Amino acid sequence: MAESDKNEIYLSPSPHFANGVTTPKLMCTVIAALLPECVYGVVIFGVRALITILISVAGTVCFEALFQKLTKHDITVNDCSAVVTGILLALVLPPTTPVWQVLLGDAFAVIVAKGFFGGLGANVWNPALTGRAFLFISFPVALGASWLDPATDAVSSATVLSQIKEGSFIADSGTYLQYFLGNRAGCIGETSILLILISFAFLVLTRVIDWRAPLTMVATVALLTWVTGGDVLMAMLSGGLLFGATFMVTDYATAPVTGPGRLVFGTGCGLITFLIRRFGGYPEGVMFSILIMNSFSAFLNKLTVTKYGYGRRARKPVPAKKTVAEFDVKNAKEEAVK
Amino acid sequence: MKMFTFKGGIYPPEHKELSRDSKITDAFPSTRTVTIPVTMGGAPNECVVKVGDRVVKGQILAQSDKYISVPVHASVTGTVKKIGPHMVTGNTEAPCITIEADGSDETAYMAPLDPFTCDEKDALKRIKDAGIAGMGGASFPTHVKLSPPEGMEIEYVILNAAECEPYLTVDYRTLKEETGKVVDGFAIELRLLGAHGIIALESNKADLLDELKEAVSKAGYADDMEVRVVKTKYPQGCEKNLTLALLGREIPAGCLPAAAGCLISNVGTVCAISDAFRFGKPLIERALTISGGACETPENIRVPIGTNVGDLIPEVIRLRNGEVAKIISGGPMMGFAMTNAMFPIVKGTSGVLFLTKKETSLADETPCIGCAACIRACPMNLAPVLMARTIRSGDFEQAEKYGLTDCIECGSCSYVCPAHIRLVQRFRYGKNVVRTRKTEAKTKAAAAQSSGGTK
Repeated sequence: MAESDKNEIYLSPSPHFANGVTTPKLMCTVIAALLPECVYGVVIFGVRALITILISVAGTVCFEALFQKLTKHDITVNDCSAVVTGILLALVLPPTTPVWQVLLGDAFAVIVAKGFFGGLGANVWNPALTGRAFLFISFPVALGASWLDPATDAVSSATVLSQIKEGSFIADSGTYLQYFLGNRAGCIGETSILLILISFAFLVLTRVIDWRAPLTMVATVALLTWVTGGDVLMAMLSGGLLFGATFMVTDYATAPVTGPGRLVFGTGCGLITFLIRRFGGYPEGVMFSILIMNSFSAFLNKLTVTKYGYGRRARKPVPAKKTVAEFDVKNAKEEAVK
Repeated sequence: MKMFTFKGGIYPPEHKELSRDSKITDAFPSTRTVTIPVTMGGAPNECVVKVGDRVVKGQILAQSDKYISVPVHASVTGTVKKIGPHMVTGNTEAPCITIEADGSDETAYMAPLDPFTCDEKDALKRIKDAGIAGMGGASFPTHVKLSPPEGMEIEYVILNAAECEPYLTVDYRTLKEETGKVVDGFAIELRLLGAHGIIALESNKADLLDELKEAVSKAGYADDMEVRVVKTKYPQGCEKNLTLALLGREIPAGCLPAAAGCLISNVGTVCAISDAFRFGKPLIERALTISGGACETPENIRVPIGTNVGDLIPEVIRLRNGEVAKIISGGPMMGFAMTNAMFPIVKGTSGVLFLTKKETSLADETPCIGCAACIRACPMNLAPVLMARTIRSGDFEQAEKYGLTDCIECGSCSYVCPAHIRLVQRFRYGKNVVRTRKTEAKTKAAAAQSSGGTK
């Protein structure tokens, strides 16, 4: 935008300063926060997980570049957003997902969910989750009923959430610890609650994500589970609740931008997650709850926009030392008038 | 120490260390000529001199009979060489009077006037006659500001010594070097308004706290004014934020600070007021900061009003060769980028910056990712991202509903945007559109009414 004349003096409207945070830097911070989950996934699920992650990242980046090339747009894969989508999608897939299915999910995520809507920032639904939902509905056995147990290296169709649903799950303290540390069957990146909490703290402290939506989502699920007499701790440790709350609910483009909007958004995600887990046809509801709430983001923005001169009008003035007496007299008068 | 603050805002690098230890030194243009704009604040003035006239320092060059106007005085003694358009801050041309100094020390000041015994009307007249307009940038005539509208009582006058713009140190130096004059000028304002005074210092200037307190009590104003410290952040010096921070009062949307019983004054302005009464000296010179990474000698100088910045190079301002990427009149957050340095220093010029390519932001816009950093940064509790989206789609009414007209154009949103989106720049444009539409609607309504009346 800045224009230069021959002397290289630039002209532009103020401000003439910027703080140096850029979109690629933010994306790289998210990638850094995802690395522990990636590494741990590879440690417990082996090289299959590594292949899934690498293929997925290569897939999203290539598909995005290809799509932008075909539609004659500037190729913007160097903003690293496709890398984030690739990692996120891989981390919410079971380690046994066939490679061609991973690539299909990548294509759906960056082309249909992101590219068709106008690219970075313009998508309505979280690309990684849309890709996963596409795979989940298309290949329900591969995505929803073949869980690799890292301890026995055997594939089973049952998870804790499906057992809870059937009422056949009995937990002891050892199970809780195992689930907290993450050595259990599940998607590549969602198993270790400890690592997810570390990533969450890192992202909140670096001010990359906002605490509101994740906290309200988890709190809503916990509260509703407790009210209905469920196992609160297991509801939080199992499935993809914490992973979704940390990395998916906080997706910039698909969540509301206002503080109050994010609170409502998180509460809605929590509510729908609980409803699906308790009454729905699927054992896990995090993915669909977030996608459903994504649809509301634009409206939540409009409803909860903050303004000047309306919120804090009621704050009492701080009287100066000298005029305290005068103030009291005046206030008394005003009250008398009322 | 209680620290006052508000919600939102940003913490840009201050760069004040470059010039904060430099004493304000007098400087004079090498060409010995000054180019004084005919109008500096208020309604347009009429020239009362013509080419070839000899003018004396302090003599009126141009004035207007409008209430909201201030006269302009000769800042040097010499001959009027030219009256015509010249580039001024904002990259526009404005009528200016060019005077060549003849080296004479002759002055034509007014007689001193005791501000505490004279009639209130005379005092306001003196402030107008001295050509005093707000020296923070907006150049609003001070005598108008000091006569609040009927029914609006001013309880507090805040001396804005926050100086929240990076680089600028002139207010700090003025407070340090001319403490007595500042306190005197401020006391005159307080006397005129019958209000209580608060001197607001940003915490990075807290070293002045004791000196100021001492000067206040020494001058006998300990009961009339106090010194408070506000948190160092941008835009702490904005009227609305400063009032909220210090008094917890929100100036209602679309109103002047007087609506909250407050009035905010600038450090340079109160100094000029003191000079106008004590020495009868009109506002014909001002102190300012010269700084920036491309400036070899960051410093604070005092120059006659109308001095062309270019005439100070290289005797006063030495620049690093080939490193200047931006010339800014004002601060880096709200100042104007200029095409070249041949523009005059006016009453509202608080600094001139020469920024390098590295310091200034020249990145291109990328898509908005909805990170909401702008919402966190907005000192006015607005949602810049949503306003920008509606402006982009041409829906100015919705933007107005989102609070567009409350935007103070501080630029905090553009500063933090990771996509380098020109948020505040869009809001300036949007506000302009809204304003134009409103005037159009008004004239239309008036026309309809008058035509209805003739039927």
